[in-house]
Amino acid sequence: MDVHFTLNGENMSAAADSSTRLIDMLREGCGIKSVREGCGVGECGACTVLMNGDPICSCVTPAVQARGCDVTTVEGLETDGELDAIQESFVTNDAIQCGFCTPGMILTAKALLARNPSPSREEIRRSIAGNICRCTGYIPIINAIEAAAARTREENTAPL
Amino acid sequence: MNGFKYIGGRLPREDARDKARGRFLYLADLPSDALHGALLTSPLAHASVVSIDVREALELRGVRVLTFEDAPDTLYNSGEWFPGQNDHPDETLLTGHARHVGDRIALILAPDKKTAREARDLVRVEYSALPPSVELHTAEDLSQTLHCDGVRSFPGKIEYGCVDAAFSAAAHVESSTISTQKVHHAALETHAVLAVPSDNGVLEVYTPCQILFGVQHVIASILPLPLSKIRVIRTNVGGAFGGKQEVVFEPLCAWAAHKLGRAVFIDTAREETIISTRTRAAMTGTVETALDDDGRILGRRFDVTMDAGAYLTGSRKVMMAMGKKIPRLYRIPALRYDAKAVRTSTTPAGACRGYGSPQIHAVTEIHTDMICRALDFDPVEFRLKNLVHPFDRDPTGAANLGNARIIDCLERGAAAFKWAERRTPSSSGRLRRGAGFACCTHGNGYYKTIYHDVSGMSLRIMEDGSAVLRGAVHELGHAAVPAMTLIIAETTGISPDRITVTEGDSLYDKYDIGCQASRGIYVVGECARLCGERAMEKLCREAEALWDRPVRRSESGLIIGDETIPIGEAVRQIEMKRGTSIDVTVEHRPENNPGSYGVHFAQVAVDTLSGIVRVEKYLAVHDVGRAIGRNFVEGQIYGAVQMGIGMALCEDLSFDARGNPSARNFDKYHLVNAPDMPEVEIILIEEGEEGGPFGAKSIGEISTVPVAPAIVNAINRALDTELTHLPITPAVIVNALRKPAPTPI
Repeated sequence: MDVHFTLNGENMSAAADSSTRLIDMLREGCGIKSVREGCGVGECGACTVLMNGDPICSCVTPAVQARGCDVTTVEGLETDGELDAIQESFVTNDAIQCGFCTPGMILTAKALLARNPSPSREEIRRSIAGNICRCTGYIPIINAIEAAAARTREENTAPL
Repeated sequence: MNGFKYIGGRLPREDARDKARGRFLYLADLPSDALHGALLTSPLAHASVVSIDVREALELRGVRVLTFEDAPDTLYNSGEWFPGQNDHPDETLLTGHARHVGDRIALILAPDKKTAREARDLVRVEYSALPPSVELHTAEDLSQTLHCDGVRSFPGKIEYGCVDAAFSAAAHVESSTISTQKVHHAALETHAVLAVPSDNGVLEVYTPCQILFGVQHVIASILPLPLSKIRVIRTNVGGAFGGKQEVVFEPLCAWAAHKLGRAVFIDTAREETIISTRTRAAMTGTVETALDDDGRILGRRFDVTMDAGAYLTGSRKVMMAMGKKIPRLYRIPALRYDAKAVRTSTTPAGACRGYGSPQIHAVTEIHTDMICRALDFDPVEFRLKNLVHPFDRDPTGAANLGNARIIDCLERGAAAFKWAERRTPSSSGRLRRGAGFACCTHGNGYYKTIYHDVSGMSLRIMEDGSAVLRGAVHELGHAAVPAMTLIIAETTGISPDRITVTEGDSLYDKYDIGCQASRGIYVVGECARLCGERAMEKLCREAEALWDRPVRRSESGLIIGDETIPIGEAVRQIEMKRGTSIDVTVEHRPENNPGSYGVHFAQVAVDTLSGIVRVEKYLAVHDVGRAIGRNFVEGQIYGAVQMGIGMALCEDLSFDARGNPSARNFDKYHLVNAPDMPEVEIILIEEGEEGGPFGAKSIGEISTVPVAPAIVNAINRALDTELTHLPITPAVIVNALRKPAPTPI
């Protein structure tokens, strides 16, 4: 069957059967390679995508569940080649080492800041509890999310 | 300011943008028409295959099956990285005698991953179970059932000084037995490899590896191909931590591709990466220390047993590396290190960040705190009395310790952490607080060991004044490439965004022994610095000859007479008129292997009801000689603390009596996540180390070395316990605090 959904703002249709996982449909059917498998059981968060704005593990989500949904991957965050504030902040705050966890981590942060524009460090920690990073010790990632939140708040309150 | 333009600064790394955009591709992301290989592995810890029926699997479209019956029985050692090292070979590509859960029996190949895995499920294997061997103390007696090479264990010894005399003369002798567990590296990218038969009989092997030429060597020891026909290409690495140092699936993949004349891709799931690759080696060690009345160490004796797992791999090397660290942290007039590696029917061990240092420092640093408690010494004072000093010699004859600033680390750290205030444990309600710390050392390459150490690179300054550094650099995520970039930028004045550093490709690269032994900065980085220096020397020399005037360097180019000529223009003129390019080659052999040093301090709060430990405060102090990229150094330390807390408290790949692993994925293998990670303060001691680029030395491995003992010492101080078997899980703590049951009358 074909699953119709919105991928990064565009209409998409991809083949899937009842056993197809969302991660496989995105990687093999839609050419989205930023969604990567670290564990396959929803424990590491490397395969995180946003479904209707909520972070989910695409390795434990059936592809058919995306039907009619709005799916965002990290490719959908930039506008005309300009990085999203969170992506930019990850780059400038040394939140990226090997980069394998990065897309999932950024999407989880995106969902957090959409819900809570001024999270405390503790709230940031809790929000990324399901995203494992073996390289950075999380500290620069927490810094990056904090800085992105501050920058977004400044931009939103700056006089026109 | 340190007088440098780039060194010691905080430049963002160049690959970060692509990584943030999802455009940085790992091997499994690359398009390929290769056959997809699924591993069929043993479900039993110890068994022989009675029969293997592949008929049903072969009915699926395009499926090929290669079993142990098809594979050569050539024995090899996955930890050997150079021809002639003669590490005991006891492993084959595939086996009909399974020696651990996850041992490789067959490779199922299909045009796509799904079919390959379906076909694997259709292969019927009949096993005959054999007795597993999981306990260290019985491993030698069971060794003959596991391997038919007649080797019970692999002993090693380091000894100097009059050990027995030291112990006879001692005022005090203290002893501890400490054990550490198997740890999974947990690089988020699982193991994968692609082998492609190419033109001219060359077999290309694409792998996210740590030792390019080591992969080439092991493959050449099994396939009938010369080294020159095996081209190993390092792909983007999603973390390694030593787990991609040994050669695990590359030989199998290369053999399958060579045999079938088809490209073969082996991709593994987390379960296979946990139970079928390598682990940090578990070990148990008894240490005895002889002391004089003032608390000076007179001698130390060790009896260490290391669990190599099912195959020897590099475990004996790890075991010897452990022993060699002992005389490089404290002044120990007499030492006897007796160790043996034994094989068990568990996942093979091998390299893991620190290469034995986290294990031996767990032994010595937990023991050192026990000494202080038993004899009522302050742990800081005791260590200050016994720690090594700068430029001490290594009593075993190994390399001089160099500018060893461990005393600075401890003094600065103790003051910054307010050790004097925090050292007294406290309790509030069911919480008990305590602080602890641990000192450590690690190396900088292989100079004055039994291994050679050499790095080759070339640097070409281009006609527009940009530059390409060509070397077998292995970027694992730890910022090797950006560090090389900064070194070239500092030496040449070329801005970092105009410098490209190539990474490993054995066909084109000069020889380098790889990303191991913490040599990335001190040896490889120094090679890069020498390339930059020599390229600029040649540029100036050629410019003086061409313009016949004295030449000086400035920020914007060369000052020739009273004219400033940009570097690019000078290169163009020199190439056209003198017929030579500014392209230099350097082969660097280090002339020392100094120690890097560090001290970590931790304060923990232990919930005496649940046994849960929270690390509340953390300080890492490191003698790095000089930070090349300050943010890169900090990044290594933060990540290392995460890994070390896991070793102290929760990470554990253990095996039950039948040899079944305790974890096959992250649901049972617990990594420290963001809520459990403390804030980490960092102090860097930058006193310079001769022989390193701008005085720099290693940080990536050493930064995880003292974490576990620092935390265990803090827990033991908080609870007044003597917990010595890692990891210190909540269950361990609750059991330790449980009051002894009343004796029945």
